[in-house]
Amino acid sequence: VIVVVGLSHRTAPLTVRERLAVPKERVAEALRRFREEAGLREAMLLSTCNRVEVYGCAEEPPAERVAQVLARWHASDLASLERHLYRLEGEAAVRHAFRVAASLDSMVIGESQILGQVKEAYELAEAAGALGSVLNALRNRCLAAAKRARTETGIGRNAVSVSSVAVELARKIFGELHDRNVLLVGAGKMSELAARHLVSGGARATVLGGRTFGRAEELAAALGGRAVPFEHLRQELARAEIVISGTGAPGLVIRRPDVEAVLHSRGGRPLFVIDIAVPRDVDPEAGRLTGVFLYDLDDLRAVAEANLRERRKEAAAAEALVEQEVLDFLAWRRSLDAVPLLVELRRRGDEIRRAELEKARKRLGALSPEQEEAIEAATTAIVNKLLHPPTVVLKELARDGEGPAEVGLIRKLLGL
Amino acid sequence: MTSRAYLLLTLLFYAVGALNVLAHALTRRRLLSSWTLSATLVGFAIHTAGLSQRWTEAGRFPAVGLHDVSSLLAWTMVLAFLLTFLRTRVDALGLAISPVAFALLLVATLTSATERTDPILTTFHLPLHAALAFFGYAALFVAFAMGGLYLIQERELKSRSPRAFYYLAPSLERCDTISGRSVAVGFVFLTLAIVTGMVWSKNALGRPFTGDPKEWSALIAWIIYVVLILARRRTGWGGRRAALLGIAGFASVVFTFVWTTFVRAGGRTP
Repeated sequence: VIVVVGLSHRTAPLTVRERLAVPKERVAEALRRFREEAGLREAMLLSTCNRVEVYGCAEEPPAERVAQVLARWHASDLASLERHLYRLEGEAAVRHAFRVAASLDSMVIGESQILGQVKEAYELAEAAGALGSVLNALRNRCLAAAKRARTETGIGRNAVSVSSVAVELARKIFGELHDRNVLLVGAGKMSELAARHLVSGGARATVLGGRTFGRAEELAAALGGRAVPFEHLRQELARAEIVISGTGAPGLVIRRPDVEAVLHSRGGRPLFVIDIAVPRDVDPEAGRLTGVFLYDLDDLRAVAEANLRERRKEAAAAEALVEQEVLDFLAWRRSLDAVPLLVELRRRGDEIRRAELEKARKRLGALSPEQEEAIEAATTAIVNKLLHPPTVVLKELARDGEGPAEVGLIRKLLGL
Repeated sequence: MTSRAYLLLTLLFYAVGALNVLAHALTRRRLLSSWTLSATLVGFAIHTAGLSQRWTEAGRFPAVGLHDVSSLLAWTMVLAFLLTFLRTRVDALGLAISPVAFALLLVATLTSATERTDPILTTFHLPLHAALAFFGYAALFVAFAMGGLYLIQERELKSRSPRAFYYLAPSLERCDTISGRSVAVGFVFLTLAIVTGMVWSKNALGRPFTGDPKEWSALIAWIIYVVLILARRRTGWGGRRAALLGIAGFASVVFTFVWTTFVRAGGRTP
């Protein structure tokens, strides 16, 4: 049975999740304890800032014992964890594993980090020798399904964080960012983050320094651009395609006339102005000018929200895709139940064939190599043809989840 | 098969393509599924066969009368779309072209062919002039559509609250570039079409310029496009103004086309 025991952002507040998180160095130790004390044959531990989950597989449903070990590991009693924990077994556990990997259970649906985290968790378990055939198969199918969900549906499309929305908008306006000029007004953390994205897309950065010119120079160096004193605002505005303004100034830094003055020299080239300062740096009136696209922090958040809604629409398609993968995986798992019986059936058939062949040989005497080959082929064909239909039926029965009762009957019928 | 049978089959495939594009636009999934693209490709191949069949049946180049004209125009548009898509991978163009191509073909299947074979229509001038003009129309339509997408996307970005087209339309830069290139291509065809039209008119009627409204509007379109291209080349002009001017130019192209097809459909001049 495959089990999942754990808690996530859906069931537990950050304080609880923090307390239960297992650092990478200790994963191997934790896995050892889960296997020894909770009786898991295979185990994997997924610990991120949004979830702590133990994946395992054992003969008997071990969820309860896993929960106890989890509580003991963190030196807290089970009762205090109880209302945050979920325990999933069998089909539910498999479905959960697939949905988590596909980022359908994430706080921000479709976020891309979780796939890497799941991959890493399996790798850690593998290194600790805690992975067997069951979880290994689960890993392969989960990761494949997650990749399909990302490429075949739009759950991962469209930016959902403020700085990535800024970059997405820049691409919507300018297409390629290569050789575009980004002007940073003020050297705050947020501007730096957005600018880094843009620069990694090929844009060139210019930092406009204020009173603390040293900071501007530092940032310019980090971005591979240049620093310019604030007095050059208009010249730089005329050159720039993208402006990120994030000063701590109490009043407006870029006024409508500043923008108006440079528009004429631009020949209709658009100007994208991102104002991430609070209070705002850029005169909202400037946004009314033709060819100027002005976004403040609230606007960026609104776009992120809209993008998230688009992702949620896609989530239904991704859920359907993942569900199909889950059903395939479960059917494949069940078809494995028939394998021992099939092997036995084959072995028995071949045994009878050999014995009878032996007897016949005694009566036939010496045979030419051609004759020897012919009776080998003939008898093998008889056994194979006879066993083919029951083999197919057995596989089907197992896949469709027919119980062990039928398998027992078949054993009896075949005298195994 | 008769050319009409080919057309009906083509209509079916274009309908699949157009419906697919619209359905995908509503759900905002990738616009051109492999379905849409293959339907359009197969439709286009059948359409090509149908046109060559029609050429044989009519005994002249199939560019006279509403039936022939709308079919041929749909064909050049789909061709222009496929070529543009191959080069740029911009699928939003399908949103403009697919329904229009379908509508044009619907018109073609609903109208009966004009079986005129006057001597004026059997010279080599007709295929030459008409082919050049139609390729020009198609390229200029692409420019017009990309200009339209530019304006729509610009409005979306200006409004700061993304709706459907924010997700569907390509970036402003891309719209502008493709529109500009299509104008350049379309302009070359338009120029050659005007020149061959004048030669044809001179040979048939003795005058290169007869004062027909379509000649005037073709000239106006030509002048608009000259201004547009020069402005782009010389001053790096682009964006909104270029899109608007491209749309204006296309309006006079449409007038030329409508005048030629409807008003002069049974007329004496080419």
